[in-house]
Amino acid sequence: MTPMIDFDLILRILIFPGFTFVLLLTLFCDWVERKIDARIQNRIGPMVAGPAGLFQPLADFIKLLTKEDIEPRNAKRIIFNFAPLVAFTIMVFAMCFLPIDGASVLSTTGFSGDLIVILTFSTVASFLLFLSGWASCNPYGTIGSARVLTQFLGYDIPIFMLALTPAFIAGSLSIFVIASDQTIPYILLAPWAFVLFMIAMQAELEKGPFDVPDAESEVVGGLETEYTGGKLAFLHLTRDVQVVFGAALVVELFLAGPYGPVFFGLTAFWYSLWFVLKVLVIVIVAEYITTLFARLRIDQVLRANWRVVLPAAILSLMLTVVLVTWVRPLV
Amino acid sequence: MRRQNQTSTNKIDIVKVVEDKLGDSVQIQLGQLGKAAIVTKNGLHRDVLQAMVDADEKTAVVAITGLDLGANLGILYHIRTSNAFITIRAEVPKDTPKIKTVTDIIPGAVFHELEVSDLFGVIFEGNELQGHFVLSEYWPEGVYPLRKDVKASEIKLNPAPAGEETQPATGKVVKIIIGPQHPALLEPEKFAVTVEGETVTKVEPRIGYVHRGIEKAAESRTYLQDVYLVERICGICNTIHACDFVECVEKILKTEVPPRAKYLRVIALELNRLHSHLLTLGHAGLEIGYETLFQYFWRDREPIMDLIELTSGNRVYSSLMTVGGVRRDLRETDIPKIKTTLVDLRKKLPFYRKVYEGEPSIRARMQNVGVLKREDALKLCVVGPVARGSGVNIDVRKDEPYEAYGEIPFKEIVYTEGDTWARMNVRMDEVEESINIIEYAIDHLPAGPFRVKAPRVVPVGEAVNRVEAPRGELFCYVRSNGTAFPERVKVRTPTYANIPAFLKTAIGENIADVPPNFVSLDPCFSCTDR
Repeated sequence: MTPMIDFDLILRILIFPGFTFVLLLTLFCDWVERKIDARIQNRIGPMVAGPAGLFQPLADFIKLLTKEDIEPRNAKRIIFNFAPLVAFTIMVFAMCFLPIDGASVLSTTGFSGDLIVILTFSTVASFLLFLSGWASCNPYGTIGSARVLTQFLGYDIPIFMLALTPAFIAGSLSIFVIASDQTIPYILLAPWAFVLFMIAMQAELEKGPFDVPDAESEVVGGLETEYTGGKLAFLHLTRDVQVVFGAALVVELFLAGPYGPVFFGLTAFWYSLWFVLKVLVIVIVAEYITTLFARLRIDQVLRANWRVVLPAAILSLMLTVVLVTWVRPLV
Repeated sequence: MRRQNQTSTNKIDIVKVVEDKLGDSVQIQLGQLGKAAIVTKNGLHRDVLQAMVDADEKTAVVAITGLDLGANLGILYHIRTSNAFITIRAEVPKDTPKIKTVTDIIPGAVFHELEVSDLFGVIFEGNELQGHFVLSEYWPEGVYPLRKDVKASEIKLNPAPAGEETQPATGKVVKIIIGPQHPALLEPEKFAVTVEGETVTKVEPRIGYVHRGIEKAAESRTYLQDVYLVERICGICNTIHACDFVECVEKILKTEVPPRAKYLRVIALELNRLHSHLLTLGHAGLEIGYETLFQYFWRDREPIMDLIELTSGNRVYSSLMTVGGVRRDLRETDIPKIKTTLVDLRKKLPFYRKVYEGEPSIRARMQNVGVLKREDALKLCVVGPVARGSGVNIDVRKDEPYEAYGEIPFKEIVYTEGDTWARMNVRMDEVEESINIIEYAIDHLPAGPFRVKAPRVVPVGEAVNRVEAPRGELFCYVRSNGTAFPERVKVRTPTYANIPAFLKTAIGENIADVPPNFVSLDPCFSCTDR
C-alpha cells in the first residue's frame, strides 16, 4: 500500500489553522497588546510600520533576525542554542491541539486526554525557557531563570486544578469535547473558576503584576540578558505564543472555544472568527490587568500563590465536584 | 503618622556650648562662614564636634572642604545643628597631611572625608574606607587635582587596571553588579551588591564615573562664567545650583538683591522643584514595574517644562540666575498661562495622591521597604525628603530662609515612617506646596528692578551658603582672592549626602527592594560626581 499524500493535511499544518495562522495571530495579538498598553498609558503606540503600526511586531522580529548572534564563552552551548527554538516549537505544537476552526489542526490527533498533554507542553516550554537562561551562565540570567522556575512551578498546580473544573463539568479531558459541550459557556456556570484561572494564567505567563522574572530594574534582561539576534527573536516569539496559547486555553475552557452562531457560508470561517475575537478579548483583559498594577516582589508572588490562589483552586475544584455530582442531577 | 509638624523648641546656643567647654584652646570668629568659624589646632576639631553632638542631636556634617593654603592644607568641617551653621577650621602641613577622622563621632562624614583625601591627599586616620572614590582607577598616585601646584596638562593617567575578576558563584552567594550601566540607574555609578539567595548582605559603592572636575574648572573661569558652569552640575535641578553659587558670591560682594528678583528666583526655583519631583514620582513607578504611573507623571511634567521655557527662554537649563538678580523679568502677559497650568496640575493631584497612598501594589512594594530610622537619619546626616520622610524636620527654606522664602507661607512636610513610601509621599505633598508657593509669589510680586549691577571683580573673602534643592540641602563654599577668578569653589550636592542612607537600608532586604529603595533617594549622579 503506497501512502497517499494528503494535501489537505499539509495545508492544515502549514497554513491554516496551523503554523502560519498561529504565527500571524501571535504577531497580531502582540500588536493589540502594545496598542492597548499605549492607549491606557496615554501614548500612541506603534504607528509607522504598516497601517496603524500593524506590522511593527513583524518588523521587530525581522530586525532581530538580522542582528549579530553572540554566544558567551561560558555558556553551555547546546542548551543555549537550542532551548529557545525547541521551546517555540513545543508551544506551536501545543497550539495544534486546540480546536480553532471547529476541529484541531490534525483532526485525528485529538484524544480523550489531550488537555493534560497540552498543559504539560506548556510546562515543558517554560522549563526550556528556564534552561536557556540558566545555560547562559550570567548572574542576571541565572537569577532571572531561577525566578521563572520558582514561579511556574508554583502556579502550575493551581492551573492544572482549575483546568479540571471545565473538564468535570463536561465529563471529559478532551479539549474538543469540553469546547463543544458549552451550549452555555462555562464562564457563566463557574465564574469563580474563570477569575482564578485568569489570575493564575497571568502569573504563569509572567505578565504584570507577576512579571518578576523579567523585572528589568532588578535583573536587567532576566533570562534574555545574554541572548542576541535570532535566538532572542525566538525567545520573544515564544513568550508571545505563550500569551496567545494562554488566552486560547481560556477561550476553549470557559468561552465555548470557537463555537458561536453561524450566519451564512462556511462554518469554518465563522468558527475561526469567533475564536480570534474571543482570544482578543482575553488578551485585552490580560493586558489591562498588566498595566493597572505595580510589579509584585517574588516573595509576594509566591505568597499569593500558596496562601490564596492554591487554596482557592482546591476549593473551586471541590465545589465543582459537589455541584456536578449532586446538584446537576436535581436540575 | 503623617504630616506631623514638630516645632523645635530647643534653643541651644551651640557657640556658647563650645565656648564654655573649649573656649581657652580654640579661637571663635563670630559671623564668619555661617554663624561662627571655630579655629582648631592639634586634633581639637574632634573635641569641638563631640561637644556639639552631645549638646544637639541634630548636629550633622554638611560637607568637608579642602583648601590649598600654600604650605598648609586647610580643612573646613561645615556643621549644621538644629538652629545654626558652623564651620570648624583645621590645618595640616602639606608634607604630612594627616588628621584624625571624625567618622566615629558622626558616621555620615565618611564619604566627605574620602572625597577630600582623593582630591587633596589628606589622610584621615581611622577612616576604614580607603582608595579612590571620586577619581578613576587610572589616576596616577600622588597627584591631587585640587592642589594649586597640579597642572591639568601634566597629568598622565595610568594604563587601564586589570578588570575585576568575575568570581564564580560559591554556594548561595552571588555578587550582582548594579551599574555602571544598568536599567535601574539612569546615570553611571556602580554598586556591587552581594546577594545570598534573594537577600542583600553587602553593598559596595563606587562613584566617580561622571566626575567632570567642575570644582577645578571653576577656578580658571570668571565668576560670571562660573554661574553657568555650576548650573551644569545637574541637568534636573540646575537652577538651584546657579542660585546657590550666586548667593555665595553676593555674600562676599555684600550685594543686596532687589525684592522683585528674590521673588522671581523663588518662582524659578519652585518650577524646578515641581518638575524634579514629578520626574522622580514617575521614575519610581518605572522602578517598581508600574509603567502606567511613569507615563502619567511624565505627561503632566511636560506643561511645567513649558512654563520653564516660557519664563526663562530655555526648557532645561533656565540660565536665569546672575550675580545681583535675575536675567529676565516675568512678562505680565505670561502670568495667566502660568496660573492656568498650575491650576490644571493641582486638579490632577488628588488622583495621584490616591494612587500613591492607596494603590495596593504600590503599598506592597514601598511600605516597610528601606526603613531609615530617625536616629540613623541623624547619624548619617541625610538631607531633604529622605530626612523629612524619617521624621527629621530640616528644610533650609524654613530653617534659614533665603530669597523670599521668609515671607511666603508654606508647610514643611514631615512623615515619620522612614520608608520608601514615606519619602515618595513627602515629594507628593511638596508638589502641592510648590504650586502654592508659586501662586503666592506671583500674586505678591513686588515692583521694581529685577537686577542690580554687580562688580566683576570680587574682593578677598569667603562665604558659605545653603539652599534647599529638590533633593535636599545644597551647600556651596566660595573663596575669593581679589581677582575675577575664584580661588576655590566647593559644592556639596544632596545625593552625595544621601548615599550612606541607601547603603544602610539596603542590607538585609530583598534584591527586588533595591531599585525602589534607591530611587526614593532621588539619586542624581551627575550632581554626586560634579
